[in-house]
Amino acid sequence: MNRVLRMSYLVAGLGGVGFFVMSILLLGVWPGRALDNQVGRTQPAHPPALTASEQRGRAIYGRDGCAYCHTQQIRYLENDVKRFGKATLAWETIFDYPQLWGTRRIGPDLSREAGVRSRDWQFSHLYAPQTLVADSVMPAFSWMFDGAPNQPRQEARDLLDYLDTLGRDRSLAAPEGETHARDNCDCSNDDLRFAFGPGPLNASPAMARRSGIVPALSHGDAARGLVVYKQNCASCHGAKGEGDGKGAVGLDPKPINFTEQEYSTNRLAFALWNGVAGTAMPAWRDLDLADLASVAEVVRAIHSPQPEPVIPQEILELGAQVYSQRCTQCHGKDGAGDGPAAGQFPIAPTNFRTQRPAAAASLRALRNGIEGTPMASWTPELSEAELSAVAYYVRTFWSGQ
Amino acid sequence: MTDSLPSASSPEVETTLVYAHGLAALVTLLISVCFGFFAAVELLAPQIAGTSPWFTWGRLRYDHTQGIMLGWLGNAFFAFLYHAIPVLTGRRVTSPKLGQWIFGIWNFAIVLPGWILVLAGYSQPLEWAEFPLVIDAFVVLALVLAIIQFLPPFFSSHLEDLYVSSWYIIGGLVFTLLAYPMGNFVPELVPGARGAAFSGLWIHDAVGLFVTPLALAITYFVIPAATRKPIYSHFLSMLGFWLLFFLYPLNGTHHYVFSVIPMSAQIGAIIASTLLGVDVIIVVANLFLSLRGTGWFPRDPALRFVGTGTMFYLIVSIQGSVQAQMSVNQSVHFTDWVVGHSHMAMLGFASFAALGGIVHVWQRIPWARYNHDLIDLGYWALLLGVIMMVGDLTIAGLVEAGQWKSAAPWIESVRAAKPYWIVRMLTFVPIGGGFLFVMAGLFAGNTREEAG
Repeated sequence: MNRVLRMSYLVAGLGGVGFFVMSILLLGVWPGRALDNQVGRTQPAHPPALTASEQRGRAIYGRDGCAYCHTQQIRYLENDVKRFGKATLAWETIFDYPQLWGTRRIGPDLSREAGVRSRDWQFSHLYAPQTLVADSVMPAFSWMFDGAPNQPRQEARDLLDYLDTLGRDRSLAAPEGETHARDNCDCSNDDLRFAFGPGPLNASPAMARRSGIVPALSHGDAARGLVVYKQNCASCHGAKGEGDGKGAVGLDPKPINFTEQEYSTNRLAFALWNGVAGTAMPAWRDLDLADLASVAEVVRAIHSPQPEPVIPQEILELGAQVYSQRCTQCHGKDGAGDGPAAGQFPIAPTNFRTQRPAAAASLRALRNGIEGTPMASWTPELSEAELSAVAYYVRTFWSGQ
Repeated sequence: MTDSLPSASSPEVETTLVYAHGLAALVTLLISVCFGFFAAVELLAPQIAGTSPWFTWGRLRYDHTQGIMLGWLGNAFFAFLYHAIPVLTGRRVTSPKLGQWIFGIWNFAIVLPGWILVLAGYSQPLEWAEFPLVIDAFVVLALVLAIIQFLPPFFSSHLEDLYVSSWYIIGGLVFTLLAYPMGNFVPELVPGARGAAFSGLWIHDAVGLFVTPLALAITYFVIPAATRKPIYSHFLSMLGFWLLFFLYPLNGTHHYVFSVIPMSAQIGAIIASTLLGVDVIIVVANLFLSLRGTGWFPRDPALRFVGTGTMFYLIVSIQGSVQAQMSVNQSVHFTDWVVGHSHMAMLGFASFAALGGIVHVWQRIPWARYNHDLIDLGYWALLLGVIMMVGDLTIAGLVEAGQWKSAAPWIESVRAAKPYWIVRMLTFVPIGGGFLFVMAGLFAGNTREEAG
């Protein structure tokens, strides 16, 4: 009896271990082989691995629990794809030792964070998140800085280098990489729909772009606009729009001081919808159009119109002459920001037809340049009379449209 | 095989080790709860951590769950095992000396340095595996030592009397040793999606092969010992046991539904998750039938803790089966719903069972202090706290899911969650207070010797 019992326990014990081994084979090893196989078929040739700095950044990302609030996995679901971009493919994760998929999403998914935000925005946000995103619950990582958001230590720079790799390889490989992966993935309909569907690879509503169709903004509601401004804009542009919000400290170029700039509604719509590429100004495509229209009205109202001084004709002629020699390369013949060199810069030159700086702001920009932008100081090149003549002249391009 | 606890005559229980692990369990519990509380506060006041890296949210979050799993539940299970093994087998554990080593390693080579290393920035970003690799090596060592300590008494005789708790103890210790390296080492070696498949297995095995079997071992032990009646059905006990060990490991991939992991693995895990709910109904039915006649709230707090833990086990398991379904999972995955789910599992089920176990063994240490009223108070506070927290986080999860489905900006979901996070933070009062009351009840009052 005892012998039989012992045998049966032995069988039971082996059976139990068998269950466990089976679970590993079925849910670990076998899917792993299938994934390996899929990676081999779909990955582009030589996707760039992480550099030393990026790897250090990845370790910091892991060490400080970033993955416990930010997932790195866009699921094969319409909502995920709509918010973040195309679903995560197996080959995109081949450098992740260990994986950082995450199981909780308090902040947004970061699978496609590369290129979404400017570097100064990222540093400022790491340094003190609430100075940029007022209602954020992200902890501050200020110890990675030397006391200011524009003085990152190596840790902060490494972390940012790592963020710049998220989604990078797939975007580098596109479009041929996408075709290659799609043709070889042996995909189900869901895979085709979510990983290779018609939407953008990166669906971030904050990613700035230089061009793109902008929906027309109707009339906004000023009261609503103030709420939207306070929640989203005041952190950088300041409560009164003077460009002096808490988040402005580390940004380069500085946020616009709305009291001294006049914008056409179309210009504001473009900046809100597409962001201002090359600067910390993100796009706000996630706000609804009524809110964008409302906040645009608030911004326009911040500028208080001054009576226009009458500028003597000879000064305007001098301004025109200097402008045509010095400024047209970037700002264009008609001040539309479309000069032949405009496309070479990460930040688009000001279009004076849709944006009219106050004379003082215009003169200051000419004298000092605008830090963080290609706009250089003209003080040594131009006389005081020429500077002020151009400062007045560029204001004449204003069309208000 | 047997359907009741052996009535061994005065087996030699290592009461000092029971007491030491019980004490360590309660101390690490309070610390772990504080980690959780501070993390909850930081979500509402992110600047409160100041400019030091040591107390940022991520690091506190790592220490919270590792402390609960290894510090609190680990020690509580050991305390229970030192009492239960002699009772179940009529034999002493392998060696009291070894017991001192296990105690020392567990607390001073694993939990304490693990916490400090995480705060100092040495960790791995894997769920339920956050302590760094060097600590993992000590965990594996300690698990081997625990097997040497606790399992030989089962095999030296009386095998035919193997009670269901013994099965769970053997299964829990052996399979934890097998699963732990898979969850802690493999994802460091296997990248990305492939590694995630193993992480998914471990996330479930940590709960399913470590926490659940040992919590059930306590429950199956305390109920007959406190009611002095045999368990309702040994057949159901064994059926539940084998189904559990068959199904739990097959659940892992349900943590990554709608991922790039092959759909057949996902569907297999979802089917196993559904069946697991059925298995838990069998287990819980057997336990409740064994509790017949004790009322909803038995007077013995040990029995009440395990009884309520069993109730939570039923609810959380059925919830688990439901949320593994694709239609539910696509909404609630990544939200606070899941955080509520894991608190129901680890706090409502496992911690209640572990507290029942500790209270039960405390009652049987002649020189241990014991205050019924304080423990009673602790029970009610904890019950209130768990219901508040799980209810709150479940609703928060649904609110977040709704926000994510809408076109609203991401930050709206954060704004919408904040009121719920305030309530969650406030649950620290009943939960922290409840644990304190139980602890006070175990260190104040008369000893049994004094009471006569």
